[in-house]
Amino acid sequence: MSIEAAQVMADGTSPQAAAIAPRSIGRQAVIDTLARPGARLGLAWLGVLAFCTIFGPLIANTHPILMKSGGAWSSPMLRNLTPADVLLMLASAMAIVLSIGRWFSFGLGLLITIATPIVLAPPALFFVRPPANVDYTLYRTMLAEGKIESAVYTIVPYSPSDRLRDRTDARLSPPNRAHWFGTDNDGADVFSNILHASRVALSIGFVATGISVTLGILIGGIMGYFGGVFDLLSMRTIEIVEALPRLVLLITISALAQHRNIYLMMAIIGLTGYTSYARFVRAEFLTLRQRDFVQAAIAAGYPQYRIIFRQMLPNALTPVLVSTTFGVASAILYEATLSFLGLGLVDEPSWGALLEQARAAGAGFIWWIALFPGIAIFLTVFSYNLIGEAARDALDPKLRKRE
Amino acid sequence: MFYYIIRRILLMIPTLLGVSIVTFAIVALSPGGLGGSLLGPNSQLRPEERKAVLAYYTERYGIGQPVHKQYLRWLGRVSPIGPKNAGEGWPGSLGFGFKVPDLGESWQVHRPISDLLKESLPITLLLEFTSLPLIYFIAIVTGIQAARSRGKLTDVGLGTFLIALYSMPEIWIGVLMIGFLTNRQYLHWFPSNGLHDITSDSMTFMPSFGSDGFERGWLLDTAWHLVLPLICLSYGSFAYLSRLTRGALLETLGLDFVRTARAKGLGEKTVVYRHAFRNSLLPLITVTASFLPAILAGAVIIESIFGLSGMGQLFASAALNTDRELLLALTLIFAFLLMISFLLADIAYAIADPRVSYVD
Repeated sequence: MSIEAAQVMADGTSPQAAAIAPRSIGRQAVIDTLARPGARLGLAWLGVLAFCTIFGPLIANTHPILMKSGGAWSSPMLRNLTPADVLLMLASAMAIVLSIGRWFSFGLGLLITIATPIVLAPPALFFVRPPANVDYTLYRTMLAEGKIESAVYTIVPYSPSDRLRDRTDARLSPPNRAHWFGTDNDGADVFSNILHASRVALSIGFVATGISVTLGILIGGIMGYFGGVFDLLSMRTIEIVEALPRLVLLITISALAQHRNIYLMMAIIGLTGYTSYARFVRAEFLTLRQRDFVQAAIAAGYPQYRIIFRQMLPNALTPVLVSTTFGVASAILYEATLSFLGLGLVDEPSWGALLEQARAAGAGFIWWIALFPGIAIFLTVFSYNLIGEAARDALDPKLRKRE
Repeated sequence: MFYYIIRRILLMIPTLLGVSIVTFAIVALSPGGLGGSLLGPNSQLRPEERKAVLAYYTERYGIGQPVHKQYLRWLGRVSPIGPKNAGEGWPGSLGFGFKVPDLGESWQVHRPISDLLKESLPITLLLEFTSLPLIYFIAIVTGIQAARSRGKLTDVGLGTFLIALYSMPEIWIGVLMIGFLTNRQYLHWFPSNGLHDITSDSMTFMPSFGSDGFERGWLLDTAWHLVLPLICLSYGSFAYLSRLTRGALLETLGLDFVRTARAKGLGEKTVVYRHAFRNSLLPLITVTASFLPAILAGAVIIESIFGLSGMGQLFASAALNTDRELLLALTLIFAFLLMISFLLADIAYAIADPRVSYVD
């Protein structure tokens, strides 16, 4: 069943069609979720953000896309792409090709899309070697000296780390036609920074929540299924982790870690968030274990991994997936907060770090550095929350009965 | 009930031990190690001073010894039961027994941690205890309104607005408030930092009309300083709780006893407030356990944005400077505060719902 069908149902034009075609609960939930305007708005913004994440270097970059200098054409932009840029673009190209071709089922297509960057990572790391030192002023001096005969620039011709050293007057300039969202204390373009920071935010949100959920399901499942000493010990561990507010734990760890990179941030945000998932899956498993179909599976002599993963887990999974959307939202918030407190990534644009600059710039309050990154965080978190709310409503049997 | 409370309090001990072990382990695994900030490259000491300091701290904290020994040494100092000097505590003649816990001395500002806490804890508790009733009051009022106008434009509009409200990051709202409402560039309506005015010491307690017109007095001055931090700390939890109130009340309003109440001709107000609302209180109490940590963590952010020298700011500086003693003491206190409030929430739950009993 496609999205169009969901829209038809939402308009109420063909209720019969909905009554005839039987669907799985999961598919029905997706359709019900997408029928809500809030969820659609959220998805639209996340789509924009995903586009920025993947094609950021093509939208905002100091390096020209094409440049003719000394009679020869070259593409400094391609030359300066990082392996991560290339892999992301390849993966999205694969996703587009697969969704046009429709050779595989949705799940398999998703798997191939995810596998693409992982498989291609080693050759990409080997072959894609952007220059380590970049002189952004080069192009502007070349242009001023008339050495560039013709060039094609990106829409926003500023990289996030281009501090416009050749133009000291550009520091802290308010939004104008050249700098849509103004420039910061160092002269870097705020729009470009926000655009490139979306990659950090989204990837930390996804991976951290992925770690939390996987860990939560594994630990919670084992606790609920086997019980006993493991259950007791894990429950005490969960209590210890939850005895501190998560932010306090995150601040402690990231303040003491000296070399913070994106993987470390993902790991610590992910590892501190598993407790609620584990608790939930444990409770579900405890009740599921008493149910007849599980007892029957045990009596039939199914192997344990099959009972756990094929019989019990699908029955406990849907609510977990709903809370995953809220989990992504809070992971993004934690990343922003840590960056704001100066405990986030070093040398990478981040929404939270930008917000911090607005306060610490020393030249009073600079509204454009405060406003725009904040809006970006807010819209992203809002989108995830809207989708989560819609999914929760769609899955709530009490609400469904009334409608 | 009494035995339940005793048991819960006793169960706090292993959890607090666990929290301190985790914090200790994090500090021990950090690149600077347990001596971190003291002996690291950051400390600007001459070699001979360094030697003396090293000797003193090795003596006092056992730095250089195995991690578990250092931990036990710390634990013995902090715990109210443990080794002590004969002559203090109880029993006085023994070297082991009850005593006043010694939280140690901050490595960064070189003051006893108990002194630092005496200054900062009241500020954080003031924030917590003023925001909590505020959150509950506004959330319940708006939640009931939304539930009563279910499906109407006010309900849908309010619902979306509340989701938007709790999606707004505190750091953003805080920075915008500081920027626009306390800044001379824009609107200078509120003070930008601190809890009191510089002249607050000479103020009278209550507002008064003196010789030179209206004087706001100490109380009003403090309230004026608290407005922005409180809004910033409360709005997220308020939005969340308000939506929860609406959901809980809607669920109750659909039950049979409400229909009975309506059928026997009770007024709408009586039905909603006396019959339905009392029965939808329970989820509101349960959820306190989940947003108390959020308020406590929010204090860390808000205190550092608004320059309030409470526990949150103390904690942030302790973490940034690897002040091991302060960090250990503060995480312990955070955990203690949280567990006490969880316990209070559970007791309130039993009081609100007579069906719940903790006797076993």
